[in-house]
Amino acid sequence: MVDSNQLLQSSELFSRVALLKVRAKDLVEGLLSGHHRSRHKGSSVEFAEYKDYSPGDEIRHIDWKVVGKTDKYHVKQFEESTNIKCTLMLDSSGSMGYQPPKENSAEVSKWNYAQVLAAALSYLFLKQFDAAGLVLFNDQAVRRIPPRSKPSHFQNILNELAAMEPAGNTGLGEAIGQIIERLPGRSLVILVSDLFLKHDDLEKNLKLMRARGIEVVLFHVLHPDEANLPFEGEIVFESLEDDPPIGLDPYEIRESYREAIQNQISAYGKICASLGVDYEFLQTSEPLEQALSYYLLKRNSLNKQ
Amino acid sequence: MSLNFISPVFMLGLLGVGLPVLVHLLTKRQVTHIKFSAVYLLRSSHKKSIRRSRPNRLLLLLFRCLAVAGLSLSLAHPIFSFTGTGVFLASKPAANVFILDDSYSMRLTVDGKSLFNQAAEYLTDAIGQIPANGAVGLALASAPARRLQGWGADRQTLGQKIESTQASFATTQIGPAVKEALDLLESSPQEIKRIFILTDLAKNGWTEDEFPEIPSRVPPVNINVVDFSPESSGINRAAIQGIEVGQEFLANRRTVRIKAKIANLLPEKRLSRLPVSLWVDGKKIKDRWVDAFSGLSSEVEFSIPLQGGGPLEGRVEIGEDSLNEDNRRYFIYQPEQKLNVLLVDGDPNTVAHQSETFYLERALNPFASSTSDIEPTISTLAELPRRDIRKFSAIILCNVNELPFDYERQIEKFVLQGGGLIVSLGDKVDPGFFNKKLGALFPVTLDALNQVGSGDEPFRMKLKEKTHPALKVFDAKTRQQMEAIRFHSIFSSSPREGKNLSIPISFSNGTPALIESTYGEGKTILFASTLDRDWNEFPIQPTFLPWIQRWVKYAARGLGTIARKDLMVGEAYRWEDEGEPGFVEIPTGAFKTFAAADINAPLFKGTAIPGVYKIYSASKNNLKPAPENASTRPDLGASPIGFFTVNLDTEESRPQKISPEKIQKLLAGAAVEIIEPVDSLAAQADDGSFPLAGPFLLLAALALLGEGWLVRRE
Repeated sequence: MVDSNQLLQSSELFSRVALLKVRAKDLVEGLLSGHHRSRHKGSSVEFAEYKDYSPGDEIRHIDWKVVGKTDKYHVKQFEESTNIKCTLMLDSSGSMGYQPPKENSAEVSKWNYAQVLAAALSYLFLKQFDAAGLVLFNDQAVRRIPPRSKPSHFQNILNELAAMEPAGNTGLGEAIGQIIERLPGRSLVILVSDLFLKHDDLEKNLKLMRARGIEVVLFHVLHPDEANLPFEGEIVFESLEDDPPIGLDPYEIRESYREAIQNQISAYGKICASLGVDYEFLQTSEPLEQALSYYLLKRNSLNKQ
Repeated sequence: MSLNFISPVFMLGLLGVGLPVLVHLLTKRQVTHIKFSAVYLLRSSHKKSIRRSRPNRLLLLLFRCLAVAGLSLSLAHPIFSFTGTGVFLASKPAANVFILDDSYSMRLTVDGKSLFNQAAEYLTDAIGQIPANGAVGLALASAPARRLQGWGADRQTLGQKIESTQASFATTQIGPAVKEALDLLESSPQEIKRIFILTDLAKNGWTEDEFPEIPSRVPPVNINVVDFSPESSGINRAAIQGIEVGQEFLANRRTVRIKAKIANLLPEKRLSRLPVSLWVDGKKIKDRWVDAFSGLSSEVEFSIPLQGGGPLEGRVEIGEDSLNEDNRRYFIYQPEQKLNVLLVDGDPNTVAHQSETFYLERALNPFASSTSDIEPTISTLAELPRRDIRKFSAIILCNVNELPFDYERQIEKFVLQGGGLIVSLGDKVDPGFFNKKLGALFPVTLDALNQVGSGDEPFRMKLKEKTHPALKVFDAKTRQQMEAIRFHSIFSSSPREGKNLSIPISFSNGTPALIESTYGEGKTILFASTLDRDWNEFPIQPTFLPWIQRWVKYAARGLGTIARKDLMVGEAYRWEDEGEPGFVEIPTGAFKTFAAADINAPLFKGTAIPGVYKIYSASKNNLKPAPENASTRPDLGASPIGFFTVNLDTEESRPQKISPEKIQKLLAGAAVEIIEPVDSLAAQADDGSFPLAGPFLLLAALALLGEGWLVRRE
């Protein structure tokens, strides 16, 4: 016999999944529908460029016509049109569950924002017949769905996304350590997090992935409250993770806090740039469509270069 | 070690500290709880700004509280003392009597403020420090010591009483004041009884006989003597101790001699060229300089010609010092037109020329219509008690056997106050009576009668002191004539031990003929023979007339009457002349009346101020004495019928202070403590007392500065 509570929770979950699906689909359908070009050159029907022959190259790829004309050995190179295996790593630690105070409850929560972002990206990849997987992590990988390209895989991703409630401490290093061996080589990892990393070294973790040839896209998501600290009065801040509470007047530290956040964003940007990681800072106040389309346009333009 | 507050009422201002606290609490915002993601970032940011932001509110509160507290404390005039004992604070409710020394020595000015004013301010502050449950009484220590305020008066009334009290011109009477205080304390139910004596410790006010016996009780009466004596002695340099005014009859023209006695009060310094001036009728007449050795007196004499018959009113002044009240002394002198002399005939006779005073009377007033300035009055011994001898300048006892009972005392008083006494001997004189009864007046004792035997050489006079004031006018020929006069009988005499005398004339056998001495203000002259022809031929000699006249004038010294007219401050004046006195014009120009108590011998008690007092007769409409301080005044144009002067008792001017040991002895039975007056002005660092008003004010200013800086920074 099915428990009424379970039934209720299931129905809530279904509605959340449905809502997430609708939002993700709407979001993606409205976007530019285009293929992701593989940046890996390989065998394909689509010519990419010539290169000088070097021993080891397949002889069958030598363009004899060019040899005839120039008396030089050139090898044809083709765009390798492959299916991308994309793993979406969504930070589901406690800090991602930040809810603005009641007076601002109309705003989109950070977790909701990140959920929709992850769902939309999954849908986007699956729609292009790319494989999409999902890893939910806090201080470890909590849920993991391996990348699949079946359209029905989207439902699995949605189900995991909707069922997850943010909790626990952030431990990016631990989570990556757990999953990195299982990530397919030369795959794409999209990391969505608020990057409130107390102990982790982001650079080290990104380097680890980049060293394995994994392309990394980093979405740094913050609520405006977290960026600006707009609160007034004597406030006791209780941590969503394991930090002890602290009572203070935000007025007194606002400047230094903002400075710290700005420094953090700037530092992350520099690290990502140095490692060839796409870094995108998003605030939940920005419309997700706008943020996503802006990112895709930027990525496409990069690819064309 | 103690902390006392001069104006503790300002301590109420400390309640104002609650104001910043209240503001702080009211403006403190309600704490809300928010679940936040980046608490570790908040903490690191907070750590950076914690030193400058978090404590600011508490610092602000602290600064504001400090400013209010500092201001209140500085206004309360705290005095921190390592040695003080917080004398005005008692562990239990106490009865306190404050004795304020308002004698004229407290008028001494130190640093522009009189000791009395310093003591009065101290007293006001001290009363303010007495807890509300303590009883306070007031007494004044100038003569006569009196109660100023009993129990029950509120602090405001006490303050008004003190404010309206001025230093008097009287001397100090600490003993009677202590008695008043003890009487007052007796009536108080409080267990702790305390007396505070605010005085300059002038020794004159601590007379042993005047002190009451202090009852022994548990706990003992606590007596705190607050010493206001100036630290540097000798600020009061000099004082005029007395003035003698006399009329000079011996000179051809009549002059008045004013002799002022000036005391050097400096303990170790000689006074040199101290200016002395004579003021008559409001004008400065003469200036002199005087030198005086330390602790001794010098005399300055002024001679001024007598013009007119009116009274001579004036004063002698010396250079200013810190106590000017004793630098001037007033006198009033009524010059005599006639020298009244009383001739007491010890051997009257119905035959005129056989009377003892026959020749004497004619020598003093040789013509029927008096051309001499001597007015002799003859009296027998029987008439003597009825005579008012104060109206005479001199008395001549001629061959008197015995005076009426106890009459020698009146004569002693007469001489003491300036009268002249001449005694001539004769067969009636009893040496035993003379030696016994008049021994105090004369420096010699009569031994025996010396008579010249038949055929022997008679006695003759020898004028030894040719420059004597009474003899210097006689030329050599006249002196020779005098020395040729024969004396048959003379009394020999022997000097008494320790008496000063001079013998300007002696007999040829070496026995004194005329013995002169002073007694009090007056002079006594003993002539060792008769002033009639019984024992010599002198009365019928031409030299007798000028000789006796000069000696009488010399003895009388021109004192018209010897009714006492120079009083001390506070001494009552008794009217003993004819007429009915009605009003007295006091030196301030106000008019007062005689006391109503004794109409036969009216008394005037309002002699509180030094100066010249003028007496007016009662007008017809105001025969009955009017109440004291009545605003009535004599008829316009009325002339005074009498004068008297009131002067300071210069004993109070003496710089000697009573020693702490002596104070302990006089106040035996009480717990005595001698304390220094500690106030904001007199607080000295060297006696362990620090006024903290300045530091507290500085603290308040710094706190306000800090508060302003913090507010500006925020």
